[in-house]
Amino acid sequence: MKRKKYTAAMLGLLASTTLLLTGCGANTDTNTGGKTTLTLWHNSTTGEGKEYWEKTAIDFEKDNPGTVVKIQPIQNEDMDGKLQTALNSGDAPDIFMARGGGKLADIVEADQVLDITDSLDPSLEGAIGQGVLSAFEVDGKLYGMPIAVLPGGIFYNKDIFTEAGIETPPTTVSELESDSSAIKELGTSAIALGAKDAWPAAHWYYFFALRNCSQDTINATAKAKNFNDSCWLKAGKDLEAFMQSEPFNDGALTTSAQQGAGSSAGLVANNKAAMELMGAWNPGVIASLTPDQKPLASLSWFAFPEVTGGKGEPGAMMGGVDGYSCSAQAPKKECTAFLNFIAQKQQQENYASAFHTLPANKEAQQAVTDPSLQSILAAYNDAPYVMVWLDTLYGQGVGNALNSAVVDLLAQKGTPEDIVKAVNNAWTRG
Amino acid sequence: MNTSPLTHALPRPRSSNWRQRLEILVFAAPAVVVFVSFVILPVIMAGYYGFFRWKGYGTPSDFVGLDNYFAIFQDSAFHEALIHNGTILILSLVLQGPLAIVLALLLNQKIRGRAVIRILIFVPYVISEVIVGIGWGLLLQTDGAINDFLDSVGLGALKADWLSDPQIAIWSLMVIISWKYIGFAVILFLAGLQSIPEELFEAAAIDGASYWQIQRNITLPLLGPTLRIWAFLSIIGSLQLFDLVYIIWGQYVSSTAGTSTMATYMVANGRDAGSYGFGSAVAVVIFIISLIIALTYQRFVLRRDLAGALTEGEK
Repeated sequence: MKRKKYTAAMLGLLASTTLLLTGCGANTDTNTGGKTTLTLWHNSTTGEGKEYWEKTAIDFEKDNPGTVVKIQPIQNEDMDGKLQTALNSGDAPDIFMARGGGKLADIVEADQVLDITDSLDPSLEGAIGQGVLSAFEVDGKLYGMPIAVLPGGIFYNKDIFTEAGIETPPTTVSELESDSSAIKELGTSAIALGAKDAWPAAHWYYFFALRNCSQDTINATAKAKNFNDSCWLKAGKDLEAFMQSEPFNDGALTTSAQQGAGSSAGLVANNKAAMELMGAWNPGVIASLTPDQKPLASLSWFAFPEVTGGKGEPGAMMGGVDGYSCSAQAPKKECTAFLNFIAQKQQQENYASAFHTLPANKEAQQAVTDPSLQSILAAYNDAPYVMVWLDTLYGQGVGNALNSAVVDLLAQKGTPEDIVKAVNNAWTRG
Repeated sequence: MNTSPLTHALPRPRSSNWRQRLEILVFAAPAVVVFVSFVILPVIMAGYYGFFRWKGYGTPSDFVGLDNYFAIFQDSAFHEALIHNGTILILSLVLQGPLAIVLALLLNQKIRGRAVIRILIFVPYVISEVIVGIGWGLLLQTDGAINDFLDSVGLGALKADWLSDPQIAIWSLMVIISWKYIGFAVILFLAGLQSIPEELFEAAAIDGASYWQIQRNITLPLLGPTLRIWAFLSIIGSLQLFDLVYIIWGQYVSSTAGTSTMATYMVANGRDAGSYGFGSAVAVVIFIISLIIALTYQRFVLRRDLAGALTEGEK
């Protein structure tokens, strides 16, 4: 009798424990009432950008009854790692931010992203343009929808330039160096750099490479898989020489790029640094870091200076293309409808206003009102060619090694030759 | 009559044993499940992934045998990380150990403000590593509060790049680590001190022993087992240090500043490079190094404490 009672109690406890463990792992996200749910991951964790996505989701739901969009902001530097884990776990977001290039190609190779070639709204093909769409093409198929073009260049504070007696922005590297010296004499940092995150420091190398290497060389390198062309070494040497003029803010190595008032964008936003080399999303980031959370009125922009003897064509630009892709398990009809929706003129105008950046859809360019962005837009439309960021173009493994080697150079721990060596090793490792 | 009681007695022990075992099994099951799911299984999977070249998407299919391991041991960045781990390990023992003993002895006496001092020492231990990293990171920036303070009291000449100067960064890290973990050591030692019988001190005092003789011949030997346990935990923690370094320096600048560890090397060259097979191999290497050191320490250092326990048992 006693034995029976104990047995029943133990079995009950075991069952409860089992149910509890099962319950913890249960997937509570299920379609109910015939509604389709789309999950969206983006990297806008602050201000207007975050609000834009919330409004866009509501607008899309109105246009598409029966579809619900659930939004998850992901901090920018965490996006790659979290996305990889999510895609592999089988619990991927339906819609996720992507930047094209080698990173997207890896996801394509693993069959974890939807081919949307046949789903692209025909009217968007001309509005966005083949050049921009190609950033999201792998082997001739389209795997993502571009929504922003983000060419890089140097954002600068006109007021600080005036105070330093600089009447026109520099057009050569030597002019940039002398202007930086003049600014430093004011007690202000010349150029803000968030080297802790590595990619901002690496961008300086990318642009020196853009000036030194021809378009054909940069494209051919993706296939050759080595940095053996002499222009890559020269880019490193030019950067090393530039760094020796000490143009960057104190403590650049432990300054983050975009997080808080102490970041490089924060230094520009708070008038503690005059310039920053950054992509066209920067006015939006700076606007969220000013004391009053409004765009910096004195912000302007100039193209990366030219390099003497360089083989890059004058006026060439480099930047990123931000867009969104659908994971392979996403409901194709609803997901591609969302991608087409966000690329429409009206949504793109809203995007350009909220993010203070350039829309991928040319028909929405009129929404660009920020003077510094208008300068970028003019230069962008006139550019002979626009290259993709090298760490996107060459993929994550090579990109990471390249970025890391540039940080070593900045810290005076590496040499221009080490950059070439690190990249070649990364390509060999695969 | 004799036969009858024996017959009745037999079922009871068997029933007791059975019930006891079932209880143990049921209560232990959740912990075992968690341990297997979050410790054993990941270790096995890391071992598996370590043999592949894998970018992290889909299932690994590019088997490369021991190539990842060869690459790790040939990489000078890994050598540097290993040296940093070793430096942190030794400095942690040398800096924290003596200081914690002194503080514990001090706090074991009845002094004014003891409670406040205990709190000040112990609170850092319960603060999250991320918060500690952000707070100290801000203080130690070149334009941070510490350099500002030095300027304001006329000691501007002492200002330094506390974080990215390779000559200084490792020491900045040790100050932060010591501040963070000293409290744990002090609490352990206080507990150890309180388990030493008061009679021993009284007897020694009666026999005319000085304060230092008492500490050297009674306190420290009897505190030995606690010291050795603390040292073990400190060693393992040093080998697997990640949070503070990652938050303050990040995985790139930690390498140039001389504070990278095997764990930050793993993140920088695994996850951030999209080389998950390689990263898994690094994880296995860290595991094996920690295991070897742990087993060696247990075999040659902790063993005497167990022997002592057995001796006590025999008496």
